[in-house]
Amino acid sequence: MTAPPATPPAAPEAAGPRRVADALWLVVPSVLSVVAAFAVGGLIILALGQDPVAAFESVLTTSFNTRFGTVETLHKWVPVLLCAYAFAIPLATGKFNIGAEGQLLVGATGGVAIGILWSDLPMLVLLPCVLVAGALAGAVWSGIAAVLMVKFNVNEILSTVVLNFISFQLIDYVASHVWPDRGAGHPATVRVGEGALLPGIGQAPPLHSGVIITLVLVVAIAIFMRRTSTGFEMRAVGANLRAAQVHGIRTSRLAGAGLVVGGAVAGLAGAIEVAGVHGKMLEGMQSNFLILGIIVGLMSRGSMIAIPFIAFGIAVLEVGAGSMQRTAQVPVEMVLIIEALILLFLLLSDIARAKLRRN
Amino acid sequence: MGEITELLTLMIPAMVPFLLAAQGTVLSGRAGVFNVSQEGLMVLGAAVGFLVSFKVGSNTVGMAAAFAIAGVFGLVLAYMTTQLRLDQFVVGLALYFAALGAAGLLYREVIGVTMEPPLIPTLEDKPIPLLSDIPFLGEVLFDHDLVVYLAFAISVAIWWFMYKTRSGLAFRSIGENPKAADSLGINVTWARTWSTVVGSGLVGMAGAYLPMVYTGLYTEGMVAGRGWLVIALAFLGGWRPHLVIAGAAFFAGMEVLALRAQVAGIGIPHQFVLMLPYVATLLVMVFAFRWARQPSFLGRNYDRESRLVG
Repeated sequence: MTAPPATPPAAPEAAGPRRVADALWLVVPSVLSVVAAFAVGGLIILALGQDPVAAFESVLTTSFNTRFGTVETLHKWVPVLLCAYAFAIPLATGKFNIGAEGQLLVGATGGVAIGILWSDLPMLVLLPCVLVAGALAGAVWSGIAAVLMVKFNVNEILSTVVLNFISFQLIDYVASHVWPDRGAGHPATVRVGEGALLPGIGQAPPLHSGVIITLVLVVAIAIFMRRTSTGFEMRAVGANLRAAQVHGIRTSRLAGAGLVVGGAVAGLAGAIEVAGVHGKMLEGMQSNFLILGIIVGLMSRGSMIAIPFIAFGIAVLEVGAGSMQRTAQVPVEMVLIIEALILLFLLLSDIARAKLRRN
Repeated sequence: MGEITELLTLMIPAMVPFLLAAQGTVLSGRAGVFNVSQEGLMVLGAAVGFLVSFKVGSNTVGMAAAFAIAGVFGLVLAYMTTQLRLDQFVVGLALYFAALGAAGLLYREVIGVTMEPPLIPTLEDKPIPLLSDIPFLGEVLFDHDLVVYLAFAISVAIWWFMYKTRSGLAFRSIGENPKAADSLGINVTWARTWSTVVGSGLVGMAGAYLPMVYTGLYTEGMVAGRGWLVIALAFLGGWRPHLVIAGAAFFAGMEVLALRAQVAGIGIPHQFVLMLPYVATLLVMVFAFRWARQPSFLGRNYDRESRLVG
């Protein structure tokens, strides 16, 4: 008599398994790609005459065995993540920013300049200035590439890469002529004022609070890409350039803006490295963050939400790489090879998934 | 006059890595495959070329090995972009990382950490009889190692193939409109595959030349961004082999001048002098991208089942 409507309760049930299936189609290939990459890496290690189990054990556990390892991992996570954003944000509009290391270094230069020139200011004023200067300097640096791209049609891959090489000379000049630390035995600037340093969290070794700034930024970027019209337009341009143009989105200006924002994020990474890790600027501080950022950005395949998690995984591998070389005599470069393999297998898994789901 | 002769004589071998790698890039580019793994392939080529030369004792074998290993990377790029139709830039970047990793791994495994870095003999100059006796020109052009002549010969050969043969015309059409080429019975996949393999091999050789020409040492970072400049050079030359030769002279000239100015000490901090080649590259690209042509299908994959072309 009171027959309940059949559809409403059924709908969530139908959506439930569908959701689960979608998630499985996403997770299983990713896990398989990682496993396959480690399997191939293990074979290479065997061929080198070393023990892959011992090598992978030290790669995967170093970050979690000691507080030191964990702090080091989080300190690596920050620049890797920010460089990944610096790559992925312009990529959302279809542009390749290969210049994160130059933007990071110029950002560090901006931060260190403020930190040295205004070293007497209290922290409440100085620290924000250092971070903002870093972001602005990074934005200016990628802005050069953006202007060349929008006004003169210069390929952004080339301009951003070439700007990296200019930045190496620039920081070398700053570190050896402008504010040199003669005693360092290596091109480095003098230290910034006390007020320019990010306060540490906890004891021995403290975690710098740039990690918190980064977490805030993660949320902000997710909201920006998902909830603002500019973010929507950027994703539209990346998804279908022609359709976006037809709908009146000014695509080239947006692509330029993407590059500038990417550069600002990388510049912030440089300022955080100065204020949180080194307390000064030194040659080589860009480490291999450019490559790692690109790897993370490519692995995320368009998902801004996935980037922080992937970046953490990469930071774990990178911190583990050093201890792998010490304990298992497997060269650190093995980790880069495994990362490249993960990326290639992920790309292949996309194709396999598309084929399997169609059938 | 002596100074200019000397600079030009230095410039010719400095052109070689640019020439070999850029002609390789142009070769696959004209078929539509935009390789962006040059920097990695040059580093790998330098490492493999050095290590094989060191172990076997022959620079020729080392160079061949560098060609082969980079060619294998090219084959992966070709397969993944023509058969699987994965994005050319993404695969190229992935191969760049893999090549960097492989180069570091190989050097560390074969050589390890040593007090004295191992050395290989540098390439000998082989003056061409008669031609090298011409005053000025002979000294500048015809008194170099064999790879110099080979690089120029390869450049001319690629130009000849592309612009003076029938199959070269067919080959170039693939980079402009693969659909039209396909409908004429030209095998797009095969052309893209062989040109990417050979082109990548040339990039590997370009890397192998670096440890063999100046010092006989292999150092990390000896490629120093040349792989990226090579891509700029391909654009600058409008993806034409003969213009690439002129572009290579420009890049090599900047490199030689910057080093010379650094040695001479001209009152400007050397960092700014070393910046010059890169700044010049940026400026030149403004003009290159305005005026120079590029293959219209460059960097895009061809799917014969897709109706959309262009």
